[in-house]
Amino acid sequence: MDRRFPRTAALTAALLTTTALAIGPVAAQEEGAPSGTLTITFDSEVDSLDPALGYDFVSWPAERLIYETLVTYDEGTTLVPQLAERMPEISDDGLTYTFTLREGVDFVRGGEVVRPMTADDVVFSLNRVLRPDLLPHPSPVSEAFFASIAGADAVIDGSAETAEGLQALDERTVQITLSAPDRTFINALATPFGSVMPMEAGYDATESFADPVGTGPYYLESYTPGELAVFTANPHYWGDAPEAGTIDYALLVPEETGVQEAMAGESDIDGDNLPTPIYQQVKDDPAYADRLHRQSQLSFQYLSIDSSAEDSPLSDVRVRQAMAHAIDKENILRLAAGRGTIANCLFPPELPGFDAACDPYPYDVDRAKALMAEAGVEGFSTQLYTDTSELSGLVAESMAADLAEIGIDVEVITQDFDTLLGTITVPHQAPLVSIGWFADFPDPSNFIDPILSCAAAVEGGANSSWWCDPDIDTQAAEARSIPSIEDAIPVYQDIQRRIMEQVPLVPLYNDTWTTLTSERLTGLDELHPIWLWELAKYGVDG
Amino acid sequence: MSGRVEHADFLIGDEPPGAEEALAPTSASRTRRSLVRDPAFWVGATLVTLVVASAVFAPWLAPHDPTHQFRREIPLGELSAPPSPMFPLGTDQLGRDYLSQLLYAGRATLFVGLVANTLAVFLGLVVGIVAGFVRSPRLRLPGGLAFSVPVESGLMRLTDVGLAFPALLLAMALTSVLGRSLELVSVVIAAVLWTTMARLIYGRVLMLRSREFVLAARALGTGNVGIMRRHLLPHVLPLALVYGSLGIATTILFEAALSFLGAGAPIDSPTWGTMLERQTGSLTTDPRLPLLPAIAIFVTVLAFNLLGDAIRDAVDPHTQRT
Repeated sequence: MDRRFPRTAALTAALLTTTALAIGPVAAQEEGAPSGTLTITFDSEVDSLDPALGYDFVSWPAERLIYETLVTYDEGTTLVPQLAERMPEISDDGLTYTFTLREGVDFVRGGEVVRPMTADDVVFSLNRVLRPDLLPHPSPVSEAFFASIAGADAVIDGSAETAEGLQALDERTVQITLSAPDRTFINALATPFGSVMPMEAGYDATESFADPVGTGPYYLESYTPGELAVFTANPHYWGDAPEAGTIDYALLVPEETGVQEAMAGESDIDGDNLPTPIYQQVKDDPAYADRLHRQSQLSFQYLSIDSSAEDSPLSDVRVRQAMAHAIDKENILRLAAGRGTIANCLFPPELPGFDAACDPYPYDVDRAKALMAEAGVEGFSTQLYTDTSELSGLVAESMAADLAEIGIDVEVITQDFDTLLGTITVPHQAPLVSIGWFADFPDPSNFIDPILSCAAAVEGGANSSWWCDPDIDTQAAEARSIPSIEDAIPVYQDIQRRIMEQVPLVPLYNDTWTTLTSERLTGLDELHPIWLWELAKYGVDG
Repeated sequence: MSGRVEHADFLIGDEPPGAEEALAPTSASRTRRSLVRDPAFWVGATLVTLVVASAVFAPWLAPHDPTHQFRREIPLGELSAPPSPMFPLGTDQLGRDYLSQLLYAGRATLFVGLVANTLAVFLGLVVGIVAGFVRSPRLRLPGGLAFSVPVESGLMRLTDVGLAFPALLLAMALTSVLGRSLELVSVVIAAVLWTTMARLIYGRVLMLRSREFVLAARALGTGNVGIMRRHLLPHVLPLALVYGSLGIATTILFEAALSFLGAGAPIDSPTWGTMLERQTGSLTTDPRLPLLPAIAIFVTVLAFNLLGDAIRDAVDPHTQRT
């Protein structure tokens, strides 16, 4: 949109122009221009702002302020074009996607235009996710999401620099060819991993973290590690200007402080799930009725078990089955003040593919003890890692008491979320992990590939069970190529059953995310089913 | 001069008036009499006895196993069980009896207090006496070369470093590398407290070293170590013990602060500090949960402070507070 300078005498106008240019880009006082500062607080640190690496609920909303993808979701789960002018043309065999890029999109650094976006940048960005030489470590989803691109294998194993399936036909046309049909590919493009960066960005994520250049509605103004990241509205943005002039991303704000600040209106969004006692306090209080937001998620909280640790009783499937039978999930849900439903298998109730009949390990301590005896395991000690939130601590201690009943002595170790991610992505470092998984997109494959595939069982990957079954991997790959979800559902239900027989993880419950916002926050009706928050659409009143 | 000298030692040289009385150790009977008259002593001693007894006899006093989770006893829709005949102070969110938790956590808290202070006193005594007495001995090497070994300044600069060190940062750094443990907490707190003790003892030894009993011992041929051990140590020990017991209060508060920052005791051996840290979120919804460990800390710190102050006033009435 156009900016208009205040109408005053020419001299004053010139003075103001000079001042405005000196101060910074967003100096206009007219209504409609982005204004105000929106503050969101988090208990932990941003893991990465690099779209190829960031993979958590703190990093993603920040990435989505700076970077954009070819396609994205509307307020629900329907895909709509973003950097592409329109949805792609897909060939009849499902192998070729042709995107026409939007015109007038510029890369911005520090509020200044760098240059326009081209098709070569798109090719570079998608290829970058595949590169094994990405520093400090390769992307966790190179195989999970983009392996279906023709030639991706060659890039991943280092024998090629670029995937032959990624082509820039001209300045505005990108053609992506897959080696096999992949129903989920277009969803993968909508994740922040599909973000478009300039070719000059290189392959060092720490550099791009410090100096991000993107096309999004905001740009990174400043970042003080462990304290604050400030995002300022991009004055050269191609789309509708965002509402908030500045977004303050406050980091390492302890859970209790964050919630108190949101309640007092000092911050606008509490980025962490509400602690149970606060939720109890506000849920029936009419004063908070429109400030309390609840959203059942395409997600599940689970206990992952290191299933391939050498010389460990955990690698015996009967021990894992015993653990699954021993855990009292009703108590866990009670600790969460009922915010959710008990999960018996991988898929949450609102996901296509959910199987209500899948319940292989009901709560049965006797059966658990029998299985332990069958495995010939008297008892052993192990560690359970989780984050420092109050609820996670309580859940971990509840499970520790359950496992103590069957002879397993569990030491609970809490680490703040960013540190925890570092710990559990190192193979075999954390024998038990209590953590949650939120769908990247509404497809059952997303509950298998990123957390239970062989490709994800590597350093930096999200498979903290360090478990995989090549047969199941093959079956999952075939299921991905089935064009319609409805046809794929029976296959996924079979995969789910087969995985649960091996118990690489014990599903606990499906979350209902709850958050508190300030009174002055505008634009938030419901939390987004995939993104939770759409910060670029919110504003602050007054 | 005022007062009567009741000990065989006597002063030589110029001394400010009243200093003699300050430096002359009082008799045991005078100490006992002034203590008995001091109400602070009685309050402090009673409370300390109660606290220590509750920690020592925790296994007998606790109505339940503090780790057992009584999940069925939590009323439906509630997050914890309120006080009842079965649970005199109610339970926490996991259904564990709160009174039992407090009693056992008291053990861990006092353990840290005792260990940290003993370490601090020991280290403080050694460094303080050596620095105050040995000062800068001249060392003569074969070949004629002689130089002063700056023992005194070296040790005192060490205490400067110790005092200047950001103890909380040290604790958090060590915890992130070594993990949380009661022993680590005790060592870290001792590493901070010993410096105060050392400076105190050092100051006292400086005053004592020119006393005639020291010169007499030296004339009799007693070596440095002998003088430090047999003559100086008995003189400074009461001071050390008084400040040691006052230090327990500081330690408990310090441990609570460390736990608040996530660098304190581990989850499975809770202290009052960790209980407080875990329950602050419930301050508005179920204040009993954070307030009870806070009250325990408050009462214990008060008790040790009262007792320590009373003993110090009786033993060393003119001592300057450091």
